[in-house]
Formats: sequence, C-alpha cells, structure tokens
Amino acid sequence: MPSAVAIPLLVVVIGFVAGCLTAVARDAPPRYLPKWAWALVICAAVPWGGLAYLAFGRTRKPGIPLETLAPIQPYDPGEPPAAASPPAPAQPPPAPSLPVQPLQAPAQSAPPLLLHRRPSVSAVVIEVNGLTKRFGPVTAVDGLSFAVQPGKVTGFLGPNGAGKTTTMRVILGLDSPTVGTALIAGQRYRDIIRPLHEVGSLLDATAVHRGRTAWFHLLALARSNGIGQQRTREVLRMTGLEAVAGRRVGEFSLGMKQRLGIAAALIANPAVLLLDEPVNGLDLEGVRWIRQLLTRLAAEGRTVLVSSHLMSEMAMIADHLIIIGRGRLLADTPAAEFVSRARRDVLVKSPRAAELALLLTAGGATVSPDDSGGLAITGMDAPGIGELAAAHGIPVHELVPRHASLEDAYLDLTSGSADYHSLTPPLRPGGPAEPAEGAAIR
Amino acid sequence: MTTTLQAAPSSGRVAASRLARAGDALAFEWTKLQSVRSNRWTLIAAVIVTLGITVIVAESIASAPGPRPAPFDPLTASFLGYAEYTVLPVTVLGVLVFTSEYASGLIRTTFTAVPRRGSVLAAKALVTGAAALVAGELLAVTCFLLTQAIVSGRRGGLPLSHPGVPGAVLAAGLALAACAVVGVAAGAIIRHTAGAIAAALTVVYLLAVLCMFLPGPWNTRFGRFTMPFAAYQVVSLHQRAGLLSPGLSLLVVIAWPVIALLAAAAVLTRRDA
Repeated sequence: MPSAVAIPLLVVVIGFVAGCLTAVARDAPPRYLPKWAWALVICAAVPWGGLAYLAFGRTRKPGIPLETLAPIQPYDPGEPPAAASPPAPAQPPPAPSLPVQPLQAPAQSAPPLLLHRRPSVSAVVIEVNGLTKRFGPVTAVDGLSFAVQPGKVTGFLGPNGAGKTTTMRVILGLDSPTVGTALIAGQRYRDIIRPLHEVGSLLDATAVHRGRTAWFHLLALARSNGIGQQRTREVLRMTGLEAVAGRRVGEFSLGMKQRLGIAAALIANPAVLLLDEPVNGLDLEGVRWIRQLLTRLAAEGRTVLVSSHLMSEMAMIADHLIIIGRGRLLADTPAAEFVSRARRDVLVKSPRAAELALLLTAGGATVSPDDSGGLAITGMDAPGIGELAAAHGIPVHELVPRHASLEDAYLDLTSGSADYHSLTPPLRPGGPAEPAEGAAIR
Repeated sequence: MTTTLQAAPSSGRVAASRLARAGDALAFEWTKLQSVRSNRWTLIAAVIVTLGITVIVAESIASAPGPRPAPFDPLTASFLGYAEYTVLPVTVLGVLVFTSEYASGLIRTTFTAVPRRGSVLAAKALVTGAAALVAGELLAVTCFLLTQAIVSGRRGGLPLSHPGVPGAVLAAGLALAACAVVGVAAGAIIRHTAGAIAAALTVVYLLAVLCMFLPGPWNTRFGRFTMPFAAYQVVSLHQRAGLLSPGLSLLVVIAWPVIALLAAAAVLTRRDA
C-alpha cells in the first residue's frame, strides 16, 4: 500500500516543488500552478488519479508572464513623451498651459541585456517613461514620463489623488507598472543589488513597528544592506535621535517618526533620495530642518525627489518642479520659470468702475470683477490704466499690480485636473481641490 | 541640529555576492524578530505553559484508575500537551512575522531594503523556523523525559535510547518548526492577522478534525495527509493502521510548509506591496 500511494504522490510533489522553485528563481509567477495543486488534491484521494490528471487533464492557459506586461524598453529619445500632449483634452485648459520640457536623452541608453551594468555617466538619474498604472478600473497614473536630474531638489507636485505616491511606489519596485518603465540609473529598482546604497526612500513615516526601538529599527535596515552599527549611530546623531534611540517607536511623536524615516532613508548614504510628503504634520522647526537638509543633500550632488500636495512648501525647497494631475504630466519646469510664467493682473478700485471698465475694454484690456469689489485687469499695466483714468477724469482709489504667487500658478494649472472636487466639497478653503471657476487670483 | 553628512554620495553599487546578500536578508529578519519583546515572551510563555500541561497530562495518565487503555503508548503520551497547546502560539508567532509588517506598513520598507520578495520570504521562514525548531527540540526532549519520569513508576516508561525514540523526539521538534513556517506563509498570503491565523490553524489543526468526520475509509484516506495525523503517526511507537508509514508521514509534515511557502512566493512576487 505505501508504495502505491508514495510513488504518484512523490512524483506530483517533486514536480510541483521543482516548477515553483524555477519560477521563484526567475522571480516570475509560476505556470501551471493550479493544475499541479489540483493534481496534489486528487492524488491524496486516488493515488494514481493525480498523475492521470496531470497527463490527460485539461491545461489552462498559463498566466501572462510579467515581462510582457511591463516590457523593459530601451529609452528612445526620438519619440516625444506621451504626456507632452495637452492634458485632458476633454476639459477646457484652465490657464495657458505651460510648455512641457522635452526629456533629455540620457548619455547612455540601457539596453535590456545590460541591465545590471550601470551607465558610467548619466545626466538623468530617475527616469519614468510612459508609465501607466491601473488598479482595476481606476487609472492612477496615465502615460507619465519625466526625468529627474542630480544636484537639484525636484518637487513632485499634484493634488491629492494625482498619482504621486503610486509613481514613487512604482519607482521603488513596490508596485509593478501596467505599462512603461521606471528606472533608476538605468536599472529597475528590483535589479539593484543592495539598493539602499543607491536609493533612500521615505514613503510613510508612521510605517514602523510600534514595539521596536529606534535603534533596532535602523540597525535591522542597516544589516539588510550590509551596513554595521557605526553608520546606524551616525544617522541617529545626524537626525538628532541619539537620546531617544533606546525608546520604542510607539512612544514617538509624528515629528520624531519623520526624523526616524529620514534617518532610515540616509542609512546607506544613498545618491538618490525619494521622499513622499516628508513635512506632513511637522512643526515649524521640523519643516525648517527638512528644508535645510534637502538643500544640503542636493548641493552634495545627490538626486532629491520630494513629493507634496502643497505648493507653498515646494516654493521654499524645490529647484525644479514636476506637476501632475490625474496621473498625467502637467508641467516639468524649473521653479523660477514656473512662477515667471504665472499670470499677473492689476487690481483697480474706482467709484465709477463701470465707466472705467468700458474704457479699458475699448483700450484692449480684459476686465473681470474681483472678489474684493474692484476690477481685475489683464492686458494693460498699472501706469497705462492710471493714465487712461486720468485722461478721462475718473478717480481711482486703488491701483495695485499683482503677481500670481507660485501657489496661484499651481492652482491655475491643477484646478482642472484635481480629483474629487466635483464629488466632494473641498475640505480646506483655498486648498488645491478648489474649483477653477473664478480663476482665483487673490 | 548638527548635521554632518558624508561628503560624497555613494559612488554606486556595492559588490555583494549572492551568499552575502542571503546573509544580509537573514541578519535583517533576525534583528527584527529578536528586537520585539512580544516575540521573545510568546516563545518563553509557550515553553513554560507546555511544560506545565505536560506534567498535568502525564500525571493524569499515570494515576488513571482501572486497567490501562489497550494501546498505551508512552511515546505519544509525551507529546499530548505539546501537540494540543504549543502549536497554537508558535503558529501565531509565525503569522505575525508577516502580518505585523503589513499592518504597520513596514513591509514596504522591508521590500525596498530587499527588493527580491522571494529572499524576504525565505529569510523570514528560515529565521522563524529556526527559532521554533530550537524551542521545539528543547521542548520535545524535556517533555519526553518529564513524562517518562512521571509515568515510569506506575505504567512503565521508555528510555531515550529505546529504538525509534530519538528519531520521534527530533521529529516532534521539527513539527513545531513546520507549524511556524505554515504560519509565516499564511501571513504572507493573507496579510491580515485574523484571517491568516484562521488559515494557518486550519492547516495545522482543523483539517484533521474535518477529516475525522468524513464517512468510511475516507476519514483516514484524507486524514493521513493532514499535519496532525501525520505527526501523530511519526511520534507513535506502533504504527496505526490506515495512516501512511512514519517516514512518509514525516514527509507530509514537511510538505505542508514547503507547499505553503511556494504558494506564498508565487503570490508575493506577482502582487503589489
């Protein structure tokens, strides 16, 4: 009896294990898994039945291998980036859309066979190419392409739900892209050996085990990439957590957890940093600390990508801006250029406003009522308006030239693509989810 | 805030052999496992409670009045408390190795530190399995000696050198490691603590109970492939009819965690973290 059971069972188990092991070794989903599993079940009841099922049973089509879903394409500089087309053509463009900078070709493209070799000199460190990520029916990222250069702090901006975190997770190999690639120095994150030496990341500072001390949290991470206790002590000192290293993380405030997260990102002294909303929930002192830290890290020649949904934050830090909305690229531009392209207007208040408005319109200016009761005028500068009013004897009580702040320019750009605003009212008045109507320049 | 950073960013990839990287992953998981107090206390408490239960069970068997039940097996009797109780906390410990990371979000940090998910799974299973194996072997030997000491005067015990006994005692310790690894795999597949515990306990306990309720020859025909039945056969002095041979039974005990791990590897590598 034992051999009658043992032989088919052993055959099935060994076959199943071998199939799975090869699949795991290739880091790909195993094929024919359901069939082997069923064979095992049948074998348990009817010893030779499992073998018979394997031999004669119907074979399901194997699942599509991951490689065909996410092809590793060499970068093609000739092809215009997919997101360079005007964003969301169905909607009226809210503001004169900013020109999207063409992607720079990296010094060396990465042919698929040489993925493990790092390009020796590359102007582009993080390269996202035609990235699309769908979660069931929801498209979180839609044909996104951009590149991040070293030596700068690059701000990654977008309203809530724009796809920032998803993009970062794809870059970090946590989610696999539906279409497209996200490469770091020419490699997929998953192919980087001891990746903390290349890329430090902070996705969620609260993602720590409450019962572990800060010291052991960092030490475990250090050991995962072949680093020892000395560097762990160094990053603790660097982030000012030395005194609390022996305390369990559950007792930490949010600010301390953020520092711990930064320490974890810096543990292996990486050349690339990806930080997702690092200043969320920090006090003023913490915000300033992170701001200085990021500026210094970029000055050392590192690549720093910082995401945020708040423009005001980025205005203080970023040298370069990548703005997305609904998973599409809206702008990829130096921060200074972004604000200089922003809209300007002049606020005029007059007791004879209607009369003045007619004159200005006749003079070629565009007049719209302002929230404060005055007129917002574009197409004519303040001296011109003043002289026109004086020439017609109209008294002017206020004449204020206004520059749109970075924040306003950002609102103009993203208001058309902010998620949720048609579904739920904005929680914060003036937040990024505010509707576009009225082109809020305040 | 004195912020002193190293002057130059890392120049690039650090050379590391496959072996070194495997060592990294193991050191990572070991540091995480031993640095949470609840893990240590769970194991220590499990050991103490098991010893207590074993003493009670042995005492009640030894002092049972009347004629002894027909097939008295002092070997199996040694592991009654062990099988009924210890498996539970150890399996839960294995489950928590993954689900605690999923619950806190730490799993993403883990996968960014070691991007090959198969390595993470293997390291977790090895480290947890090794901890459970050490605890299991210590317990198995102690439980056996305790029970024999209590039983020997009244019903006749066995020496550790009795043929077949050393292997059975070692196998009993191994079974505990197998339960822990089943827990690890269940945690990796299901991600939520409650569901993963239910699934793992189904494999290590409930499947056998279900099989016992099947009619006719089917109860043992299926039952012999469940972990409790197989483990029972391994630690029996005399073979039970209808079950697999002790060697094959040991194979069954090992096959469950191996299959669970392979399923977990398949799921982990294709799923978004």
